[in-house]
Amino acid sequence: MFNRRTLTIIKRELREKVLTRSFIVMTLLVPLLFVGLIFIQIYLISYDSNTTASLKIISETNILTQSMQKQFSQFPPVESNHYKISYLTMSKKDFDLKLPSMKKDLLSEKLTGIVFVPKSVDSVKLLDYYSKNPNNNSLFDKIKSPINKALIDVHFEGKKLSNKEISYASENVNFSGYRMTEGKHIKAEGEGNQALSFIFSFLLYLSLLFSGTIIMRSVIQEKNNKIVEVLLSSLDSKELMSGKIIGSAITALAQMAIWLLPLMLIISTSWIALPPNFALDVTLFQIFYVLMNFFIGLITFLGLFAMVGSIFDNDQDAQSSIWPLMLLIIIPLYIGISMQNNPEGMIGKVASMFPFASIMVMPARMALVDVPIWQFIVAIAVNLGTMFLVFPFAGKIYRIGILRSGKKPSWNEVIKWLKYKY
Amino acid sequence: MYALKVQNVTKTFGNLRAVDDVSFSIPEGSIFGLIGRNGAGKTTTIRMMMNIYLPDSGEIVLQGSKIGQEFKDMVGYLPEERGLYRKMKVLETLLFFSELKGKKGKGLEKRANELLEKFQLIDRRNSKVEDLSKGNQQKIQFIATILHEPEFIILDEPFSGLDPINTNLLKEIILDLKKQGKVIIFSTHLMDFAEKMCDHIAMIDKGKIIMNGSLPEIKSKYSQRNVSINYSGDISFLKGNPIIEKIADYGNSTGIKVKEPQDVQQLLKILVNNNISISKFNANEITLQEIFIELAGDEIVTNTYSEVKHV
Repeated sequence: MFNRRTLTIIKRELREKVLTRSFIVMTLLVPLLFVGLIFIQIYLISYDSNTTASLKIISETNILTQSMQKQFSQFPPVESNHYKISYLTMSKKDFDLKLPSMKKDLLSEKLTGIVFVPKSVDSVKLLDYYSKNPNNNSLFDKIKSPINKALIDVHFEGKKLSNKEISYASENVNFSGYRMTEGKHIKAEGEGNQALSFIFSFLLYLSLLFSGTIIMRSVIQEKNNKIVEVLLSSLDSKELMSGKIIGSAITALAQMAIWLLPLMLIISTSWIALPPNFALDVTLFQIFYVLMNFFIGLITFLGLFAMVGSIFDNDQDAQSSIWPLMLLIIIPLYIGISMQNNPEGMIGKVASMFPFASIMVMPARMALVDVPIWQFIVAIAVNLGTMFLVFPFAGKIYRIGILRSGKKPSWNEVIKWLKYKY
Repeated sequence: MYALKVQNVTKTFGNLRAVDDVSFSIPEGSIFGLIGRNGAGKTTTIRMMMNIYLPDSGEIVLQGSKIGQEFKDMVGYLPEERGLYRKMKVLETLLFFSELKGKKGKGLEKRANELLEKFQLIDRRNSKVEDLSKGNQQKIQFIATILHEPEFIILDEPFSGLDPINTNLLKEIILDLKKQGKVIIFSTHLMDFAEKMCDHIAMIDKGKIIMNGSLPEIKSKYSQRNVSINYSGDISFLKGNPIIEKIADYGNSTGIKVKEPQDVQQLLKILVNNNISISKFNANEITLQEIFIELAGDEIVTNTYSEVKHV
């Protein structure tokens, strides 16, 4: 399967793929896309913190009003003048009478909203909010904490608790994550590895999708241009198929290595320093593992994409029939991303060692938790096994497909090809 | 001495028996024509000869042993539908196809340049294939077929799409290759060309070989009692004449078969007596076209002639 003819095909594929403008553009564009996404996110967050609001807080008692005033005076959006809050004390009855007169301001959005704090908050923490937009969750998230603190202050007032105790009671619960590993050190976990898990899933997904589509198109083109018949007068279909696949796989691997290069530099040198809460806990060995696992899985995927290309005469027919293969790429991407919530969940664990899925899910999981060595080995073995199972079928269909043309065959017919003697 | 033998080869696709128990032998140093109409099984047979398809039964034998990869290295194949990588440069393309056959190096590049010179394409050697005209692409394909100096050259409809000047150029080169002792295998539905160029012929129809042998042998076998004439006037009076067995109109000539060899002179006499103006009268002459129609039926006549005229 691997000889001088295969090598000639590999060389041609590399010359055609690597030394091209589209390869260079693609290689540079993807990291830029990532940087762009990060900037958009930062922008959205800062935009959100810059929103202004004008609120009226109306409490039923003076004590509540004072407490609110005290808490909100230290509230950053108020300090930065993004939030303007006025305070009033009145009974529920008076408030109900006055509400119609404030309607105009609310509808014209001169006033963002009115928070009514009834006396009953001392037993049930339920407040009323009047606004044109009464489901303003981003506003609630912001003002919940100072309001809660104000209520706690009032509630414990005169109950012989020190300020320290009150401030303890009003604190929210926070977690700091520590990653347990086989090694001796217990390290505090930042957000870096969550980002890394996402980056692994996404890069692997993009690369599978692009290199798969490219090889499929290239097979269709060879078939359409009838080059394949000239090629087969010099070599057999196995040599041609493996040459094309190896050529494409090397191209994709080189691209992936370029994408992961900054990561390797970060962890092996001190050239680029990350903020401590973005520190990465990943080893060079793991990155090489990602590349190796990717390479093996990629070869299987490329075999399937080449097979689909050989069945059809044009891109449209192929695109409309390729969905089963696309599912094999998209489902693992979803598993990889949703695993961020619970990396040790059953689905993530199984998928990281499952045929096809392990290519994306294992790297994503590895970035989040400490994966035992045996699971790394199982994933590789499963990938190799899948490859050896897939190729006899894919190779046979490819051999028959590339020489036939005409009517679009049904999947039933394609299965019949497996019985042909060619 | 036979260079290549095709022995009882059969190939079916689903319910279609594309090639049915086909046998023929290709002598060394000959130009061999595999002829038949479109869809007769020529390309399938050639694909089996190239080891692209495996026959269901039968085998292809090269100098005593079954063909394999070593045969592929000895063959240059010009398929019916040309195929080149459009984005590749001309010289790169030529060297790529030769490298697949195991030939590379400085000498090869020199030979590629010589052939490009011969076909007046030397100034295009660094152009992309897609920038060349269709005719020029075809010349490139032909150069790619012979660049690695193959022993066997298989040409599937080599003249289609070439202008008369290039057709002649190609013919000269083919005859030159023959002189060098190469075996040239033609597949064509153009009987005219096959007749002018081939030494040996195998006719295939509906997957079966209906006739094969050397061209002179075949002709002498089928030409007895046959007269080929060109004339002006009306010869319908010949119908029903006791000496006439069959009259067939081939468009630019008419074939008449008489019942006994001595009737040929009688026929000429009748024609002259009936004031038919005769511009050609060939006794014991038959064209390949006529033989083919006699053997395979005449549904091919108009089709083939109109295609012949294009060339």
